[in-house]
Formats: sequence, structure tokens, C-alpha cells
Amino acid sequence: MLQLDALTVRFGGLTAVDAVTLSAGRDEVLGLVGPNGAGKTTLFNAVSGLVRPSAGRIAFDSADLASMPLHRRARMGIGRTFQIPQPLHELTVRENLVVAQRFATGRVDDERIEQVLDFTRLGDRGGRNAATELALTELKALEIAKALCTNPKLLLLDEVLAGLETSGKRRFMKMLQELHKQFDVGILIIEHDIETISQLCDRVAALDFGRLIALGTPDEVFSDPDVVRSYTGGQA
Amino acid sequence: MKIGKLALAAGLLAYIGVPLLLGGNNYVMSLIIAALVIGGIALAWALLGNLGGMVSFGHSAFFGVGAYVSAILTMEAGVPVMAGLLLGGLGAVLASVVMLPVLRLRGPYFALAILAYAHIFKIVATEWSSVTGGSGGLSSIPRLPELFGVDLAGKVGSYLIILTILVVFVLCYRAIRASHYGLALRAMHDSEDATRVIGVNSTLLKAMMLFVSAFMTGVVGAFNVHYISFLEPDYAFNGIWVTLPIIAAIFGGYRTLWGPVAGALTVYLVDQLVFKNLIPSGHQLILGGLLVAMIIFSPRGLLPLLRRPSRRKHAAA
Repeated sequence: MLQLDALTVRFGGLTAVDAVTLSAGRDEVLGLVGPNGAGKTTLFNAVSGLVRPSAGRIAFDSADLASMPLHRRARMGIGRTFQIPQPLHELTVRENLVVAQRFATGRVDDERIEQVLDFTRLGDRGGRNAATELALTELKALEIAKALCTNPKLLLLDEVLAGLETSGKRRFMKMLQELHKQFDVGILIIEHDIETISQLCDRVAALDFGRLIALGTPDEVFSDPDVVRSYTGGQA
Repeated sequence: MKIGKLALAAGLLAYIGVPLLLGGNNYVMSLIIAALVIGGIALAWALLGNLGGMVSFGHSAFFGVGAYVSAILTMEAGVPVMAGLLLGGLGAVLASVVMLPVLRLRGPYFALAILAYAHIFKIVATEWSSVTGGSGGLSSIPRLPELFGVDLAGKVGSYLIILTILVVFVLCYRAIRASHYGLALRAMHDSEDATRVIGVNSTLLKAMMLFVSAFMTGVVGAFNVHYISFLEPDYAFNGIWVTLPIIAAIFGGYRTLWGPVAGALTVYLVDQLVFKNLIPSGHQLILGGLLVAMIIFSPRGLLPLLRRPSRRKHAAA
């Protein structure tokens, strides 16, 4: 479904993503791991359209995304969350979802919105001001809810668990495990915690200094000497 | 419920009270009409600022283009004046199309670029003298017609026309604001990337707000030209057509529906009826002072200031 072909993103002299070739299907949960600055979020930004690739190809359902504006990628079925939650300011939680439904799918399906609100455990928060009246866990849930309301085929989740306390993390884990099946959506997820990734993902891709250094099952990738070295910063 | 009664009372006062009470006083009526013209531009300016998030110093261009288009079409092509008002609005929309490249600029850069664009139209109106009459201008422009036995060219008739134009504009503004587009536009101010990744074409929405705002301003410019029946570039594209509306909109509350119109009525009438008599020259200085005071004491403007006490009561109850 998603096919990256030697994708490269440079910022001046820095190569944030370096010739990454990778594919992701609708039927899988693919983890993206690597130390800080490895290029994980930049890769997300390139796929969702926030940064322009310097070289290489991004194809989605065999359409070339290179020059496609952000909003059209969303309409094609690419949903994403931001590491730092970005609720739509001035709107209520429900209005956030209405905007996502209306503009990504062309119509507002109230049933879908209720389903998403329930699923993300925001059912009783629909009338709250999204930017000022939510706790961090709820903001993170709203990120997922907004993305789900675009009816995505592929969901890019950027560290949705980071910053949550243990009980919140556990509830989120359960939500993420059901997400893939219940909404029939392929998932590409960035997460630091190895245990989380191992529980959730079918496959894992490890990045270091922008390069893809390992790709395989969680067990394979986390026992790869290069990956271990990049994580520990020293000898394996 | 309370709001409904208030709107009804204001409507009755505006449509029946003002013509009955002040209709005989040509001077006051002409001041009120001038205030409503400024209020119309202020409304259009505030719509662009509030919904589109853009601060424009170029609305005098839309005002002038609307005036010229309607004046020329009614004089040269025999277009009825009422149709000329709409065509003036459309002319202003066309003028705004050439401003589209500016939309990608933000904040002060947008404001400066649109100011420069506005100047281009003034130069065109001055130099293209075979069509526009050049700097000498146009005179004997057709006046507003007679309708159902009411002479719309008179003060009361003109007042009712501009008042109705404003009411229609406010209703359109309210409909846009309440729509899904309105939701997305409100969200775009502080979270543009977040709205784009969920499918909102933010550039298109901004362009649409520019068109709506330009159309409204063009219609008001066209109304004004048939009302005064005279036109020249220095008048039509005068910077006063953007500075006074900005003052009025900010004074009245540019994020409210009626604030810009209320601000225009307050600022212009108080200026003309009170300060002008006190200080014949330089009375605009007081406007500046008032605006500064308003921004300091009630940054959201006059209407929110008036509403505040009742909101406190609700909070206490």
C-alpha cells in the first residue's frame, strides 16, 4: 500500500532520511524504531506531506505522492498523529472530529464519530474545548480519534504513548492492539519502548542516522548487533 | 430568546424608527449612510480577518474597483443600477484573483503585499483614461432607481438599501461561520498543519474568504458611487476606505458579527457630530486615542464589552 523507494530528505547539509526503501501493507502493524534524531518523524513528515523529499519516491496505492498536497494525501487515506498533540484550537472535541470527517471524506457520518469517540474513550468529552479542557491522555486519544475520522487506510502514529503514566499507558496499549483490526487500518508506529513495539508489531524497521539498518520481526531486529549498538551507543 | 427580542427591536428601530425619527434631517441621514458604508467595508474586512486570519490594508482596492465597474457598466452599457451593484462586487472578486499569489504570505508580509496591490488599481484607474475618465473622474453616474414608489436615490431610500445590504452580508457571514467551512477556518488560525493533515485545503478556504470579502466590499463601493453619483481615483482608492473600517472593526469587536457595523456607527457619528464641532481640524486624533483606549481596556471591542455584565450574572447564577 505504502511504498518508499530510496526516500531521502536533506535539511541543508544534514541527511535526515537517507535512501530508505520500505513498504507497509494494510494488513500489518509496522514499528519504526531508532535513537533520537534517527529520522523517524522526518520520514512521517515526508509521507504525510509536511516536508518535501529531496530524492526518491513515495507511492501510496500506486499513486505518486511526490507533489501531492497534504490535504489530498489525507483524502487518499493517510492519517497521522503528532508527537506533541495538535488539537484544533477553538473547537470542541466533537467539532474536531466533524472537521476531519467532513474534509477528508466529504461527508459527516455521525455514527462513525460516535464509534470513534467511544473507542478512544472520549465519549463524555465531546463538548469539551479541545485545546484547553483536556488532560494529556485525552489529547493523545484525540490525536488518534481525529486521524480515525479521516477514514484512513494507513495510520502513522508518532509516539502516542510517550509521556503517559503507567495506567494510561496500559489503557492505550489495549486501544492500539484493537485499532488495527477494528478499523481495518494499516499502522506505522514510532515508539521508543522495545517491549511496546514487540507486543504490537508484526514487523519492525530500525533507523540510525537516517539509514534503514534492520528490517524484520521484532525478535530479529532487536537481536541485530547494529540495532543494539545504535541503542546502547557503544559496543554490543 | 433574549437575543431574538433584541434583534427584533434593533430591526424595528433600524427599519422604521430611524426613517421616521431622522428621515427629515438630511445631514444626519447622510452621516448615517456614510457610517454604514464604512460599516460594510469593516464587516468585510473583519470577515477576512476573523475567518481567513488575514489582516488586509488593501480593501480600498476592492471598494474602488467595485465603484468603477458599476459606474462604467451603468453609464456605458446601460446596465440597471441594481445589477451594477452585484457586478461591482464581482469586479472586486476578479481584482482579488490577481491577489491570490499573496495568500501564501503570512502576517505583516501579507498586509504589505496587499497594500502594494491596492496601489496598482489606483494607478490603472488614473492612467486608463479612455475608460475611467482618468484623474478627472466620472460624473453624472446613474443614481439608485425608484422601487415600489420609494425613491431609493433619496436619503431614506439610500439608507434602506445600504442597511439591507449589510443585513444580508451579516446573515451570509453568520451562515459561513456556522458551517463546516467556518469550523475549519476557525481551527486554521492556530493549528494550520493539524487541519491540513485531516484533509482541509487551507489555501482554497483562505482564497474563498478573500473572494467573499472582496465581493462585499465591491458591492458597498458600487452602492456608494451611485449614491454620490461622482467618482475619481483619489476618492475611490483613498486609504481612508481601509483605515476607517479597520478602526471601526477593531473598536466594535472584529470577531463579532455586528461589532464592525456598530463600531462604524459609533466611531463615525461621534467623530462627525461631537469631535468635529469641538476641534474642527485634527479631530481624527481623538479617534486614535479612543482606539488605543479600547485596545487596552477591552481588546475584544465594544460589543463584547457591553455583553460582559450579563455574562457575569449567568456565571453567578
